[in-house]
Amino acid sequence: MSKGIIRHDFEPKIMGFVCKWCTYSGADLAGTSRMDYSPHVRMVRLPCSGRIDPQFVIKAFEQGADGVIISGCHPGDCHYNEGNYYARRRNLAFRNLMEFNGIDTKRLEFSWISAAEAIKFTQIIDKFTNQVRELGPNEGYRVLLDPYASRLVKSSEESAA
Amino acid sequence: MIEQIREKARELLESGELDVVIGYAEGSDPSRTTPIFCRKPEDTDKLVLDGRCVNTLPAYLNKRHEYPKKGWKKTGIIGKGCDIRAITQLVAENQLKRDEVYIFGAECEGVVAHPEKWDGSLHEGNCASKCSSCDVKIPLDTDFYPGEKPEVDRSGPYLVTAPALATLVKMDDEDRFAFWRDDFDRCFKCYACREVCPHCSCNICITDRTMPSWVDQAAHTKGVFGWHLTRAMHLVGRCTGCGECTRACPVNIQVDLFNQKMKEVIQESFDYKSGYSMEVKPPLITYNTDDTENYIR
Repeated sequence: MSKGIIRHDFEPKIMGFVCKWCTYSGADLAGTSRMDYSPHVRMVRLPCSGRIDPQFVIKAFEQGADGVIISGCHPGDCHYNEGNYYARRRNLAFRNLMEFNGIDTKRLEFSWISAAEAIKFTQIIDKFTNQVRELGPNEGYRVLLDPYASRLVKSSEESAA
Repeated sequence: MIEQIREKARELLESGELDVVIGYAEGSDPSRTTPIFCRKPEDTDKLVLDGRCVNTLPAYLNKRHEYPKKGWKKTGIIGKGCDIRAITQLVAENQLKRDEVYIFGAECEGVVAHPEKWDGSLHEGNCASKCSSCDVKIPLDTDFYPGEKPEVDRSGPYLVTAPALATLVKMDDEDRFAFWRDDFDRCFKCYACREVCPHCSCNICITDRTMPSWVDQAAHTKGVFGWHLTRAMHLVGRCTGCGECTRACPVNIQVDLFNQKMKEVIQESFDYKSGYSMEVKPPLITYNTDDTENYIR
């Protein structure tokens, strides 16, 4: 055991929407190279970062994700020539929209990771996980999901009273 | 002004050049006007045009309404400057061909914010906020314009007009989220904001699709957040800012704040103003390899 294990109070749920040609292959490389990275990210493989509809991100937050990471090929490297250019524009608008809606944009990460950048991949995932862990649970949406959460009484407290 | 438009509309309907003229007529009470489809030349006598004409008529030109499919080869439409920008945007998005419509334009003095506020005249107290920074009071692209059309400088940037926006952007994220949560709590998903919009072009809206169900159908705050974010995202770079979504909202949610904010972002990032050109494509359906951003790691 080379690494000590730290136990945290809060383990974030992170969704990753990644391009299969670059970031997913990069993650593959990280895995086959036995690199360590945070296990909190749940990855969804998509054909291209241009395929990542902002709807996916909205849905992920609705379903209780604490952070979302979107990743694809570097500009100019797209397998479909231009998908990531569209993604870049779309996400610029989408981040501003989320910010205006009151969702901290620190919970939303966008990065270019190529198939060879396994080290960058592990660094980005680790850094983002720590960032979201510091922010804590996505309280805004937790309240939306269960409006009565604050009024709930634990059964042990009830019996004590 | 309206007399000349009536005359011209009558002439074109009689000659058969136009199949229908869409305009405004007196409504159910003196403070309201209603959209009218003039099929017969004598119907044109009912046309009115003043500060009560709030509806954005180009919504009828949108393909989802299927009016263009009724066998009408050429539709006449009476537009305020902002409506004509919506038509220009529809043409830019290939939703409409320019030669399918005949645009009657007229100088606009502004419209009332809501028919309820109409007290016989238009003044600062009841004028819609979008009219304060309007540069298309003399419409941009018309087929018929009564009198001479003066040249207007329209090169200025897009200006946000909603007063609530300035206070909202100063809030921190949590307060802003709470603001929207309180507002969206009232939404019962009547989809009036979608129905009045000239740019919602999908034949089947994503919220009406249930397999898979991307937007929650229930009028639960979670689904309401999803719906309004989706709606705003679909209109980025396309909304021409007619403000009908806010006016049509039965529970007074200022849904066009999202649109106005995004218009500002698009203006800053891509130097694009929607509804001014039929050739320039909206920024999100095109790209530039030299785009700059500051959020990607």
